[in-house]
Amino acid sequence: MTLSQKWTVLPALALALVMFAVPVALVLREALFDPGWTLVHFERFFGRPVFQNVFRNTLMVAGIVATACLLIGYPMALYIVTRPARWRPLLLFLVLVPMWMSILVRTYAWMVVLGREGVINHALLALGLIEAPLQMLYTSGAVYVAMVQILLPIMVVTCYSAMTEIDMGLIRAARVCGAGPVRAFRQVFLPLSLEGVLTGWSVIFILSLGFFIVPALLGGRRDALLGNMIVTQVAQTNWGFAAAMAIVLLAATIVLLALVRLLAARFIHSPREGGV
Amino acid sequence: MTNSTRRQIIAAALALPLAGLTAQATTAETLNVAGSGGGLAQVMDMLYDQPFTAATGIQVNALATTDRASAIQAMMRAGNTVWDVAELAPVDYAIASSNGWLEPIDWARADPDNMLPDAARLEDAAVVATYSTILAVRTDRLPEGQSMSSWADFWDTDTFPGPRALQNSVMDNLEFALLADGAAIDELYDLLATDEGVDRAFAKLDEIKPHVTAWWTAGAQPVQMLADGEVAYTSAWNGRITQLQADGVPVELVWQGGGLKPSYMAIISGTQMDEAAHEYLRMMLTDAERAAQFAEMVAYPAMLPQLYDHLSEEVGASLPTYPANMEVQFVTDALFWAGRLDELRERWDEWLLE
Repeated sequence: MTLSQKWTVLPALALALVMFAVPVALVLREALFDPGWTLVHFERFFGRPVFQNVFRNTLMVAGIVATACLLIGYPMALYIVTRPARWRPLLLFLVLVPMWMSILVRTYAWMVVLGREGVINHALLALGLIEAPLQMLYTSGAVYVAMVQILLPIMVVTCYSAMTEIDMGLIRAARVCGAGPVRAFRQVFLPLSLEGVLTGWSVIFILSLGFFIVPALLGGRRDALLGNMIVTQVAQTNWGFAAAMAIVLLAATIVLLALVRLLAARFIHSPREGGV
Repeated sequence: MTNSTRRQIIAAALALPLAGLTAQATTAETLNVAGSGGGLAQVMDMLYDQPFTAATGIQVNALATTDRASAIQAMMRAGNTVWDVAELAPVDYAIASSNGWLEPIDWARADPDNMLPDAARLEDAAVVATYSTILAVRTDRLPEGQSMSSWADFWDTDTFPGPRALQNSVMDNLEFALLADGAAIDELYDLLATDEGVDRAFAKLDEIKPHVTAWWTAGAQPVQMLADGEVAYTSAWNGRITQLQADGVPVELVWQGGGLKPSYMAIISGTQMDEAAHEYLRMMLTDAERAAQFAEMVAYPAMLPQLYDHLSEEVGASLPTYPANMEVQFVTDALFWAGRLDELRERWDEWLLE
């Protein structure tokens, strides 16, 4: 790194310090001092099963949503990247359009679709496929569907950008050497695109951890995420306990993602490193 | 969540002092009033804010806010009072009052002619409005020839089948459960003061749990659920259901067993606008004609008894403080809830996840 390169990173570093490191330090202080040093908030969190349950549920929902986005988003990105270059901007544009609407609007739209007198139930009743409306709203399924729909574009774009970096000459080389299309994909393309997959999965996992509007509006009684509990505690002026929950969530996220990274490092080859 | 928490807590720590700088530049002629915004703010603007400015020359800056107890805590920590006057729900009031975040009210200035009942004149707050959590019923979903008239009926899923909703809140629901179990209105808080009473309420809630499809968190939700036919019976705030009736949806309010709550207005400790704040409160509290107009528009009446002189019988009967309605409701005990909320909500959350 040359000196001038070092200087260009400074604004970003300053921003990260002011917008991330300092606030996290303040939250940590809030959790540990009340006003003197205390672990009472962490003891409360780990002492009551309700918080453990919600915490586990939060991690599980985030994991499932990220994985579902991956399973749907990866083929979409693959489809777009294999279209002629002139079509790709339009297809990407279509993927991104839903992101222009606020999460709240999209959540309410799901209520209209999934409701007892909503679009799906009306259609099924009219077709005679069901006799009474299905309960879809206020279930875990509704939460998953809405969260996946809201976060999917991020996965598609992340996978797409990783795929465009792959040298298509390598695929052609594999084909020339006798690999069928499936084998060329599995042994050459897929490993090279894993970096993007992992990034997309991690980003969506982290974003999911912060959801609280969607479960509050679409979920049932068991669908509370830690975010909902933190919001309640902040509103009731229990900042110390809210901060402790936030710190636990942050720490768990860092540990989990580090593990995923370590595990993945054994399998992933960056397209930029060359050598398979 | 890390994001959002960071935002909430750090916003409190960092942004409020900044907001204070901009607010301070104008405090000389502006009264900052923290309310909940929306339609209520429009009514208040017309009935109170504009006449107040016309009479005193002081502008009213009506702020649309939430989580007001939390925001006041941030102001107290930062040593910078940004709001002069704030509207407070019962638990928020109890938190703010017990922490000493509110200025004492000089009743000789706020209500010089002693028009208000004692229950509305607190040491550090005034009751400016009342609202009730009541049972709301979609009448077209009732079984032929039946009508729902109590929480016991709400619990009776054999006579009244159909999806139900309740608020995701331990406050109110414990009271409703005890009433459904046959408790009398005036013994609710004596019962809840004992472990047996709380256990009894949760045991009763066990019965209704499988029949509740949605647990609402915002006041607009039960209204939307009733309008969309998502549920047939739910708890809700009375003013919202009156509005829904006006919109032509076949719904009915059941006053029997409703939880009446005061909505407080308080002057925030450290304000530079003490004089103007008192004058603002006086105007809001002691003008029966305006109070009647207010109640006609939002169904959250003040405690001024004279306001009923200016209302038709029909409108009067739709209000929570109408004598016949008041008789069958209980008054939510804010002090009980401020003391026990944390512990009982933990149990509620546990119960809900089971």
